[in-house]
Amino acid sequence: MHCLKMTAVEFINITKKFGSFFANRDISFSVEKNTVHCILGENGAGKTTLMKILFGMYRQDSGSLKISGEDIRFNSPHDAIAKGIGMVHQHFMLIDDFTVMENIILGNEITKGIRIDFDKTAGILNELISTYSLNLDINKKISEISISAQQKTEILKLLFRNSDILIFDEPTAVLSPAETDEFFKIIGKFKSSGKTIIFITHKLNEVRKISDKVSVLRRGMLVYESSNENRNLDLNILSQAIVGETVVKANTEKADIVFPGNDGRNAISLRNIFLKKDNVSRLKGLNLDLYKGEIHGICGVEGNGQNEIIDIITGLETEFEGEFSNPGCSISLVPDDRLKKGMISEFTIGENIILKKKSSNFISERLLDRISTETAEKYDVRVSDIKSNLSSLSGGNQQKVIFARETELESDVMIFSHPTRGVDINATVFIHSKIIEQRNKGKAVLLISSDLDELFALSDKISVIYNGAIAGTFGSEELSNFRNEELIRKSDESTGSPLSDKIGKLMIGIKTE
Amino acid sequence: MELISSVISLTFLAQVLRLMTPYYLGASGANFSERGGVINIAIEGFMNLAAFSFVLFSILTGNVTAGFICAVLINLLFSLFFSYFTVKLKINQIVTGVGFNLLIAGLTKFLLVYIFNSSSNTERFEGIPDLEIFKGIPFAGTVLSDYMTIFCFALIFISGFVLFRTKYGLRLRSAGENPYAAESLGVNVRLYKLSGILISGFLSSLAGIWLASNQNSYSDGMIAGRGYIALAAMIIGKWKPVNIFFACLIFSAFEALEITLQISGTDFPTQLIQMLPYLITVLVLVGFIGKTKPPAADGVPY
Repeated sequence: MHCLKMTAVEFINITKKFGSFFANRDISFSVEKNTVHCILGENGAGKTTLMKILFGMYRQDSGSLKISGEDIRFNSPHDAIAKGIGMVHQHFMLIDDFTVMENIILGNEITKGIRIDFDKTAGILNELISTYSLNLDINKKISEISISAQQKTEILKLLFRNSDILIFDEPTAVLSPAETDEFFKIIGKFKSSGKTIIFITHKLNEVRKISDKVSVLRRGMLVYESSNENRNLDLNILSQAIVGETVVKANTEKADIVFPGNDGRNAISLRNIFLKKDNVSRLKGLNLDLYKGEIHGICGVEGNGQNEIIDIITGLETEFEGEFSNPGCSISLVPDDRLKKGMISEFTIGENIILKKKSSNFISERLLDRISTETAEKYDVRVSDIKSNLSSLSGGNQQKVIFARETELESDVMIFSHPTRGVDINATVFIHSKIIEQRNKGKAVLLISSDLDELFALSDKISVIYNGAIAGTFGSEELSNFRNEELIRKSDESTGSPLSDKIGKLMIGIKTE
Repeated sequence: MELISSVISLTFLAQVLRLMTPYYLGASGANFSERGGVINIAIEGFMNLAAFSFVLFSILTGNVTAGFICAVLINLLFSLFFSYFTVKLKINQIVTGVGFNLLIAGLTKFLLVYIFNSSSNTERFEGIPDLEIFKGIPFAGTVLSDYMTIFCFALIFISGFVLFRTKYGLRLRSAGENPYAAESLGVNVRLYKLSGILISGFLSSLAGIWLASNQNSYSDGMIAGRGYIALAAMIIGKWKPVNIFFACLIFSAFEALEITLQISGTDFPTQLIQMLPYLITVLVLVGFIGKTKPPAADGVPY
């Protein structure tokens, strides 16, 4: 049977300028109905701008937009919602003190007389939850539920408003591997129920796994398009299209480091640590050793004790039981949430760096500018004006500044927590090289991440953390075997290796032996 | 002994419930404003303004109903000004509130001298008559003789219902918690903030009217910080209508105690009792209630 493909969204010569900067330049492509369409590109390539135009948050300077063949001009998100378009933003738009249900119905309340009909609403929501297997308690407050449940709340918001075209802006950036799999299953259900999904992401593996078609944006322009109906997308071509050049692989060459005697290698040691916070056990007999010249990767679903380990090592947390020894090592930290814990976004590069530097009490503008310029050059921070605040930099460039500050201190122990979260490909490569460089300089490195590929690529040793304790540790032999297998295994095979399977299971508390 | 027995009596309890009225009206009003994300410390000034204009227009027209209506309307007008500064121009809410309180204090003082030829108080007037239905019934007769006290009891349920069970309440609260999320769902945040401020203007006008009516005159400084105490009660009550009611009872109990002491003629310095509400506020916040959590975007201009 011949099947005519219907167009859900058509972008026609869309151009959007901010000042003299082209965020989108003459972009034309269409999204077919009932498909998963991935939009790729580095930070600042114009993906989010384009989606905000589609969602009515921005207006294009020229060009037009068609929804199901109909010419459309939106004035606000409200118009877009009315046309069946829904968007899950990268930063959730949720009210922490409201329940899931209240968040969903806000603006579209079902009423009985003057009161909100909570019973009827609950019925409708629970039906949607079971249809799409969302597994969500609508009476819990947002502040009480996990990030992935919050994302489901956002999704349910769209379903409640009968959205047919669903836009997701980097939905998997905040999810663990297990949660990502669950999310993809939900996406599959959307597709089979006839919805159209537009998906912005950085992660190429995901693109091959779930997309029907990809469009790549670079510097505001559409540079590459490909179908992926047979799931055989060439990731090398794709990554080249994204960065516009051959991606330089991170230099993960590890130097052999000789230490005088074994004792000299000891850095940090945690023995049988128990920690309670607000009457909840966060660490339950945790053991961890960090050695100099070694990257110790910690993998696990967030909230299993990773942050508590950091707090103990950095001295923020002192009310624990067990033995913590530090033979006098200095410690540097690149935190997971750079906006909240890593930097002051209204300060310049120089001001952010000098905060932690031992310097004289008087700070001249010349000194600050010099520090900013030197850092930008050495750490490849791309900034148009050296005097601008960090808030005007992209996530990757902000992260490079924090990296510069922490690594320049030459501390004995380096802690990296989710170092490449929300960072584009080129910056990721740069940061990975820097982490290896720290190891080769003989630092003890603790690398906490939920990105398995990152951990496999960099670590000398990987420990899986689950429920406040280490569930298993894999040494250098197992990891190098794994890397060799990876080389033999065809890169387009979707099934994981035995080791990554094992780690994945440990992360959710299943022991295989 | 006499003092203790006079405190543990139905008369005293009736007094406490009656004196609760202006506190609860002010606190409920402030709560509507803060639930929408606007800190309204101008409650003190609003009460003052309403008390003065109620007396002024009651005397001028010879009709308390006309005085009542004028006082409410003038307060709504000032609430509109307050919204213009805080919501439209996004000026700091505390600074605006302090400005309004000082302005109104000066304005009433000026008009007091200008119109009534006195720097301290107006002439006496009749005030709002008592409700006669329950007259003669012990306890209930005293408590329910006042329209506004009865309204306060209803207000506990009304504000709880409006805030947590209606579309309006949900949207008002969303404006105070996360206006960006609210706007993304099509909620007109500024309109809801404005409505919260208008409700606070209306309820605080009732509080001012009650005070003037019970004193049968207006005198300079007669609000005596009750607006601020109402704000404290709102905080101690954690922005919840029922809790705020009980917090108001604590404060009105101290006021009743102060009056009882004055009448009994003991040597106990009443100034110390007058101090107690403020001391209690600090102690309660530090010791018993702990950290209270205001609406997330309370005080943040949008």
